Amino acid sequence: MKRIALPAAIVALIALAALVLPMLLPWSHDAIDWDHVRAAPATAGHWLGTDELGRDRLARLAVATRITLAVALAAALVSMLVGVGWGMIAGWAGGRTDELMMRIVDALYALPFMFIVIVLMVVFGRSILLVFVGIGLVEWLTMARIVRGQVMTLRHRPFVLAAEASGAPVRVILARHILPNIAGVALAYLTLNLPGIIMIESFLSFLGLGVQEPLTSLGILVKEGADDMDVAPMGLQVPGGVMVTLLVCLTLVGERLRDRFA
Amino acid sequence: MRALVLRRLLTAIPTLLLVLLASFALMRFAPGGPFDGERPLAPETRAALEAAYGLNLPMGEQFALFLQRTLTGDFGPSLVYRDFTVTQLIADSLPVSLTLGGLAILLALVLGLAAGMVAALRPGGWADETLMLVATIVTALPSFVTGPLLALIFGLWLGLLPVGGLGDGLLSAPQYWIMPVIALALPVAGAIAKLARAGLAAALAQEHIRTARARGLGTGAIIARHALRPALVPVVSYLGPAAAGLLTGAVVIETVFALPGLGRYFVQGALNRDYPLIMAVILLYAALIIAFNLIADLLYGWLDPRSRA
Repeated sequence: MKRIALPAAIVALIALAALVLPMLLPWSHDAIDWDHVRAAPATAGHWLGTDELGRDRLARLAVATRITLAVALAAALVSMLVGVGWGMIAGWAGGRTDELMMRIVDALYALPFMFIVIVLMVVFGRSILLVFVGIGLVEWLTMARIVRGQVMTLRHRPFVLAAEASGAPVRVILARHILPNIAGVALAYLTLNLPGIIMIESFLSFLGLGVQEPLTSLGILVKEGADDMDVAPMGLQVPGGVMVTLLVCLTLVGERLRDRFA
Repeated sequence: MRALVLRRLLTAIPTLLLVLLASFALMRFAPGGPFDGERPLAPETRAALEAAYGLNLPMGEQFALFLQRTLTGDFGPSLVYRDFTVTQLIADSLPVSLTLGGLAILLALVLGLAAGMVAALRPGGWADETLMLVATIVTALPSFVTGPLLALIFGLWLGLLPVGGLGDGLLSAPQYWIMPVIALALPVAGAIAKLARAGLAAALAQEHIRTARARGLGTGAIIARHALRPALVPVVSYLGPAAAGLLTGAVVIETVFALPGLGRYFVQGALNRDYPLIMAVILLYAALIIAFNLIADLLYGWLDPRSRA
């Protein structure tokens, strides 16, 4: 547990700050302070200064982190539901059903998904909901493969055979005997999915296709910072730093969970 | 071997068709079109334009026409870059993207394999722990953060490297490639380091390695002759997904460093609904990913004879 606790605590701290800070700060993330446009850090109560429109950078950072984390969590849950469901059915059914379902997964792996998501974004407008759905649809494949493998090994274990022999319906076996045994692996891959999803969301936002104003996300802040880095490098460094910290810590937690359960 | 290639090529065809059909349907049935400007066009002008580009035909016919043209390598005219055919645009930009991707994967392989080897020599030692932590951190670094940060430090502050562009020709000025290639290669290098370390550590723990050691072979010779080949198996099977990752990353890197590559055309094309351009780029990307997976599988068979069925 020791090696998981530190990165997990850092993620929790960032998430907590993102939740609480907007309530404590006197500025909202899109309020304009006309008297202090492009203020330096720590002037007039703007701890991180203001951006080129006079919006408080700290408030924007907190709201952006909040939205990035919310999108990641929602999309990861979608991908977990789809992946666990798909993998369980394929692994339990076996035979031809399994073959077909896994071929579909293989074929989908070969698609340039990122590009299809970009086209989706452009075509159907840039809503947060679509960001969720698009990302969730991309990220379930690995989960499905892993879960299928786990179910296949569990399938012939004595306690499952016993439940089957005693006439328990499949639904009950899956829910009572299989699901608890794959929960750990699913949790590990859920955590490992989070950084991937944050990257996709930020990537879309970076290209101007993700979350739209007045909402903001870490990807948007990094993009704004990159555009403005010759005059205000802090605008790139701070959101970039928060994002990298989140990504690294989530990856470490996910890898260590995976090593434990898989 | 030949059967494998043939089978994979045959399964690639439906995948490519699916990609084409899906993206075609998506774009055509979506609201908004390439001729929607600030001012609405006169109905006659619009009709004439649509007729000129074949957009007034029934959908099925448009798709059939598109397939037929694609097979002959003609992707049609770009709807946004007037006077350019899509084939021309791709011919101009593909070398840039391929150079970027090729250099990045080369760098990633060199860095990743070197780090993996050093780490695997003493599993659990300080070099192993440090290198693997660095590898994890580097894997989690998104290219759209590292790219601008590199440009900030080495381009703006230190003034050592140009922050964007390509110079006169493709490879006339190597300094233009340094930062884009590093930013693109780092996450892949991290992933390769981890895979190489795991593979090599497992290979070094096997009994024939102990025998070789007992016979007095040096570490270098053992790795080169006995351990490297099996250890490369996980690395090679990662190359397929890695290629996909590089293509995606290249879109950002090309945007950040103003490189005239395929990724930039794709984003611009998608934003402007330049149908022929988007379709061509998606098709190309899908074909590249399939090709990379095939190459990875062939290498796999060469590295691990047991997998040849």
